Amino acid sequence: MTLSRQAAGMLLAACVLLGGCVTRGPLLESASRVVELDDTPFFPQDAHQCGPSALATVLGASAVPVTPEELEPRVYLPGRRGSLQVEMQAAPRAYGRLGYRIEPELSAITAELDAHRPVLVLHNYGLPFWPRWHYAVVVGYDGPQDKVTLRSGRKRRQQLSAANFMRAWDNGGRWALVVLRPGELPAHPDKPRYLEAAAAFEGVAQPKDSWLTFDAAVRQWPDEPVAWTGRGTASYREGNRVAAAADYRAALNIDDTQAAARNNLAMTLLEMGCASQAKQQIAQIEVEKLDDRLRNEVADTLRQVNAGTDSSTCAAP
Amino acid sequence: MRTTSNWRTATVAVLAVAIVNLGLASTAQAGIVGTSAIVSTARDSDLASIRTQLERADVRAQMEKMGVDGANVDLRLSTLSDGELHDLARQMQNAPAGGDVLVLIGAVFVVLIILEVVGVIDIFKRR
Repeated sequence: MTLSRQAAGMLLAACVLLGGCVTRGPLLESASRVVELDDTPFFPQDAHQCGPSALATVLGASAVPVTPEELEPRVYLPGRRGSLQVEMQAAPRAYGRLGYRIEPELSAITAELDAHRPVLVLHNYGLPFWPRWHYAVVVGYDGPQDKVTLRSGRKRRQQLSAANFMRAWDNGGRWALVVLRPGELPAHPDKPRYLEAAAAFEGVAQPKDSWLTFDAAVRQWPDEPVAWTGRGTASYREGNRVAAAADYRAALNIDDTQAAARNNLAMTLLEMGCASQAKQQIAQIEVEKLDDRLRNEVADTLRQVNAGTDSSTCAAP
Repeated sequence: MRTTSNWRTATVAVLAVAIVNLGLASTAQAGIVGTSAIVSTARDSDLASIRTQLERADVRAQMEKMGVDGANVDLRLSTLSDGELHDLARQMQNAPAGGDVLVLIGAVFVVLIILEVVGVIDIFKRR
């Protein structure tokens, strides 16, 4: 008895128990295409390790050579005998990659495959009162046959009909993740979601990598001040204060109420030896409109700026 | 004395780690506001940073209870955003944990055999 046979049987049983299958037309929109990312690595799963295995698969496809064994201490939770979605999404940051959750649509999965990125999905093969969660990686689709190809469990190549795939994916909440290189955008980038991913990456990433992620955002959404601010902060962390100041100014040109950009610009100017310009910037922040956290930061910057003096090194425009 | 200096080194190391951990909440350099503070979903609240500290401790305790090695807990916490920490603190016990497949199939297999025997389904027939 092979795994896929069992999985198919299981789906069938679930289907019967849930009150019968509905026959539907083909689900794959790009019906004429056949895509398979055959060079996607494969790590057969041991016991409950589908999280580490699936993550190693998508990281490997993104040129990060890492084994499930190395990932286990980062994503496997012994007490739950599995891996949580939040940690699956966060772990790639430690390897210089962004985890990005794509739209909960089959067309979003095929769009990523078209862009040569395999897609990590959460399936639920169980029943509503008895969920069985499983991570697998979609590596291809076959439009004419209406099938989806996965790396799953101990199967290097598991083919499911699109309908069966959707059933397990629906039951799993349609959660799907891709791993992005710094500077790489998803096939259908969603601004808030991408910026949130980039901001979470900032806390862990090398400044150069963080710069690339925000640079991609600046190109995609040139009117978004947060993208410019993020790129500015990456430049600042790289030690490039001139570039940082220019990006913070660009953010303020779009929206002059961006307190974080102005605070960071003031700090950067101060470090460039331009204390009076820094003071001018800080003075423009409407402190009473800020939340506590930001207000504390601004107060701190103000203290430092007031203690600073202009120096001959001031090269700011 | 050798032992004393070893102890001193160890103490310094532990304190250093503790201090670094304290600073983890603010990711950028001092004076620079991290971008995570301004993305649209950032939860701007007076209690945000205090809550984050509490949640960090909470998640740490839960992870250790669930069998994660102490050193690995730090590794894991270091990659999480404040929002993710918040999600984990709330639902670590019951969020979906993908892992099953081999064991589950055994269990489902039993169900299938019963259904087959009872005659509800007919999937094990040889072709």
